[in-house]
Amino acid sequence: MSTEATTVPAKAVPAARTPDGSRPPVDPAAAVAAASDRGARIVAVGIALAWHAAIALPAALGAWAELAAPAVVLAGWLLVAAVGVLAGLRLLRGVPLPAWPLAALLLVVDAVVFAAAGERQLFTAANWAWGTLGWFLVVVLWGRRPAGLVAVLVAHSLIALAGVLGHGATAPADLVRYAMYVYATSTLQVGVFVGSTTIARLARQRAGAAAAAHAAEAEREAAERARRERHARLTLVSGAAEEVLAELADGRADPADPAVQRRAVLAAARLRRLIAESDDVPDPLLHELRAAADLAERNGLPIDLVTIGDPPPLPVRVRRRLADPLTALLADARGWARLTVVAGPDEVVVSLVTPDRAGPDTAGPPGDDGRVEYLYERDGEIRWAQTRWRG
Amino acid sequence: MGADPVAGVTGGRPVGVAIVDDHPVVIEGVRVWLAAEPRLRVLATGDDPDAVLRAAPDADVLLLDLRLHGRMALDKLAELSAAGRRVVVYSEHTDPQTMLAALDAGAVAFLAKHEGREHCVATVLAAASDRPYVPPALAGAIVGDPRPDRPVLSDKEREALLLWFQSMSKASVARRMQISEHTVKQYVDRARIKYTRAGRPAATKAALLARAIEDGLVRPEEIGIYRSQASYDRPTP
Repeated sequence: MSTEATTVPAKAVPAARTPDGSRPPVDPAAAVAAASDRGARIVAVGIALAWHAAIALPAALGAWAELAAPAVVLAGWLLVAAVGVLAGLRLLRGVPLPAWPLAALLLVVDAVVFAAAGERQLFTAANWAWGTLGWFLVVVLWGRRPAGLVAVLVAHSLIALAGVLGHGATAPADLVRYAMYVYATSTLQVGVFVGSTTIARLARQRAGAAAAAHAAEAEREAAERARRERHARLTLVSGAAEEVLAELADGRADPADPAVQRRAVLAAARLRRLIAESDDVPDPLLHELRAAADLAERNGLPIDLVTIGDPPPLPVRVRRRLADPLTALLADARGWARLTVVAGPDEVVVSLVTPDRAGPDTAGPPGDDGRVEYLYERDGEIRWAQTRWRG
Repeated sequence: MGADPVAGVTGGRPVGVAIVDDHPVVIEGVRVWLAAEPRLRVLATGDDPDAVLRAAPDADVLLLDLRLHGRMALDKLAELSAAGRRVVVYSEHTDPQTMLAALDAGAVAFLAKHEGREHCVATVLAAASDRPYVPPALAGAIVGDPRPDRPVLSDKEREALLLWFQSMSKASVARRMQISEHTVKQYVDRARIKYTRAGRPAATKAALLARAIEDGLVRPEEIGIYRSQASYDRPTP
């Protein structure tokens, strides 16, 4: 870059280690939807395990002698209980499950239990596959599309049909019982599943709409505040400009008078800066620089502040390093000043130029802390300070 | 500005300038600025581009206020540039978007109203000979051009534009970059010439490019490099 600007070794600031502070924003709508979904998950897991332990197990143990293969039925019960506890824990912790393999495992257990229950216990509570399997399928498939659950429940009912027919229960009364059982053990599951999905979606939508409305309102308020501030300054500046113009028109002020010229220059610079402000919601860096420019101007320094582009969100430390050396210099500037900002997504360059004059430097030492480079030089014509951040 | 490049174009006669602005006080001010320069002569003024050009059909350069009677005259600017009129836009609207839109529409140069007499005279003289002149405000707009299809500038060109925008002193830029003032101007002008390939084609852009090649500012094969980058056939955004 420059040879005139000496480069001082970086200070003992571990610059590159500072995180950006720009975490990905939390989606409030997703948070609300998750909270609303959590209650439904607890209910589903609770129903499945309670039914499995309180209804299915006593019934199976009570009918132990009448089951075709009681040990197989009990083994299936234990396996499903294990799957249920595992799936329930992971669901409540929000850890994703291998849904389809677990559903397939449950269907296999389903078929085995139907075969092992035997003809005499086919339609009793001891054949627990009727009552509890549907709830475990709900737990395992939580968060998937309802069509997936319906498909698996259809497979469940076909397995049950195969069991019923396989045990020779083909009397009309048996088929009617079968139809009732299928209806009773599927509809509630589908209802809970679809209902919870819908509620979560609605909650997400409503929270999303509320968050968007909040953001719009905050932006509107900031814009309104900026507009009011600008309006107030415009009133002030117009007053000063009108005064000079009126005095010139009346002949009370002499255009050749350096004091009058200076007042005109100041008023013009102020108006120009107001015209140049185009941002609705002030960026913090530009806000700081504008405040410094306003202060210098109140001390009688005509100053131009020209900004190109929008600075990205910067950590406070970077913003300070960009602005502070220049605002310090500005306090000491005489004659005029030109403050510029050129900003892009990965680079922000701020520069202050003032006429050079005899006298000691009030600038801090130039340097480079790894993220913000600071250059300062004077060449007899101008004093030129520049800070530059590269992302 | 170096040796007088204008004489070759206008055959020794002064450059004819027409001024279009809807504020008489501005016209008077600019007229006074230009009157102090013997190589320039104001031929006609007014608030309507067509009427002014009817009064001065031979004007070499048209100084056009971009906002006339409350409306942005970008369409008019494009029409005049397509017809080969050298238009220098001057405006108090110095937001980068407006400046780049004016270049896209074919303006030879863009001058901010507050940039003063020196830049105004220099811009008009350069425009008359189809040469680029980049005042600091325009340099800022080019260096901060955020459009994805913007012309590709070299690092030196960007740095020269940035420093020129910041300091408004080519001598200071030259010292900072350790090159001659002439080279600073070359970097800045080359960046400007690359913008003749952006936006719609216009006779004025072709003339700027042709003169830049003739002057040795850019080589024809360099144009080939960024031809692929330019949105040559697309209308301006």
